[in-house]
Amino acid sequence: MAPLPGIPGIPGSGLAKGLAVTLRTMTKRTVTAQYPDALPELPPRSRGVIALFEENCTVCMLCARECPDWCIYIDSHKETAPPAAPGGRERSRNVLDRFAIDFSLCMYCGICIEVCPFDALFWSPEFEYAETDILDLTHERDKLRDWMWTVPAPPALDPAAEEPKEIAAARKAAEKAAAAAEAARRDQGSRDDQDEGDA
Amino acid sequence: MDMTPDPAPPAQPLPEPRRLGPLARLAPEPMKVVLNWGRRYSLWVFNFGLACCAIEFIAASMSRHDFIRLGVIPFAPGPRQADLMIVSGTVTDKMAPAVKRLYEQMPEPKYVISFGACSNCGGPYWDSYSVTKGVDQIIPVDVYVPGCPPRPEALLQGILKLQEKIARESTGERYAPAKPSVQALTSGLVTPPAPAPGSGSGSGDTK
Repeated sequence: MAPLPGIPGIPGSGLAKGLAVTLRTMTKRTVTAQYPDALPELPPRSRGVIALFEENCTVCMLCARECPDWCIYIDSHKETAPPAAPGGRERSRNVLDRFAIDFSLCMYCGICIEVCPFDALFWSPEFEYAETDILDLTHERDKLRDWMWTVPAPPALDPAAEEPKEIAAARKAAEKAAAAAEAARRDQGSRDDQDEGDA
Repeated sequence: MDMTPDPAPPAQPLPEPRRLGPLARLAPEPMKVVLNWGRRYSLWVFNFGLACCAIEFIAASMSRHDFIRLGVIPFAPGPRQADLMIVSGTVTDKMAPAVKRLYEQMPEPKYVISFGACSNCGGPYWDSYSVTKGVDQIIPVDVYVPGCPPRPEALLQGILKLQEKIARESTGERYAPAKPSVQALTSGLVTPPAPAPGSGSGSGDTK
């Protein structure tokens, strides 16, 4: 029971309370993460750094235009490829010259990753890239490509989820081929039986 | 009654902090290593919490991340007792003089960590009329921690980076009189190239 206001409690009760807290805490396990020795286990969706898979980038500039901070720098030039067949039309494609993200300015909203139509940008949970010079925080394309090795695998689908479209199409094609092969084999077998019966 | 105010005292020049005695040059190398080791693991930190990044700073100081393990002590009563200032949050133009003033009150050697996108270079407020685009425009920054906000572990990594920097540094170099980077920052405008003699000057050649 708490003592009434104005009336002092038993002398030394405060000390006993404090020591009780100390005792209780002493018997609990520590919660401190030993960071520099043990790395934290981060979920795959952690927003640590943005990785670039530059083979997928078509220089459509959607990420640079949607970035609220304008922290993505893209340079490119156009290359003209000869026609695939003689008499055909020449094909032109954009070639990426520079792709840089200024991580001192980035607000980690992930809009660039969401708008990328060809899945060239990914989140990586890495966070250890503090720098002593602010210019080093602008990661050029080779550094962004290196972050790609730290991107975790996408999370598994739910058990009851619909099959991915590519896998469903491949499975259907394989089943169709297997059924056709089975039918051909059965057809062949029955014809053999017929031949044996005739003989 | 004389209402005229007292004449203002002549402006005292600020005390020169960047001066080293001859002992600094004569000190043997092991002594410098020991001094750097002492500075490295006794960083009394002064938190300049200005926005949401300060919450991550507080998380880093609490029991789960606990940067006292690294020798960063968050109990400095004020800037005059601190070695390290962590600017975490949006520095507005109105706050900038206070940041500079408190930085100047810190005793040498002093270090600054810029924590988060806002204090690195303005972050989401890159186009704001009232936000300082980076605390490094007013005070020198040692380590930039990226993130919006960064994880507490990112702050710990920035502190480790700063400790490596302190271990490498020498006071003679630190208090060298001139820094080329400041010169580069305060250099004049770049003059435009002279127009080619063949081209005319006027609206005729803009098409």
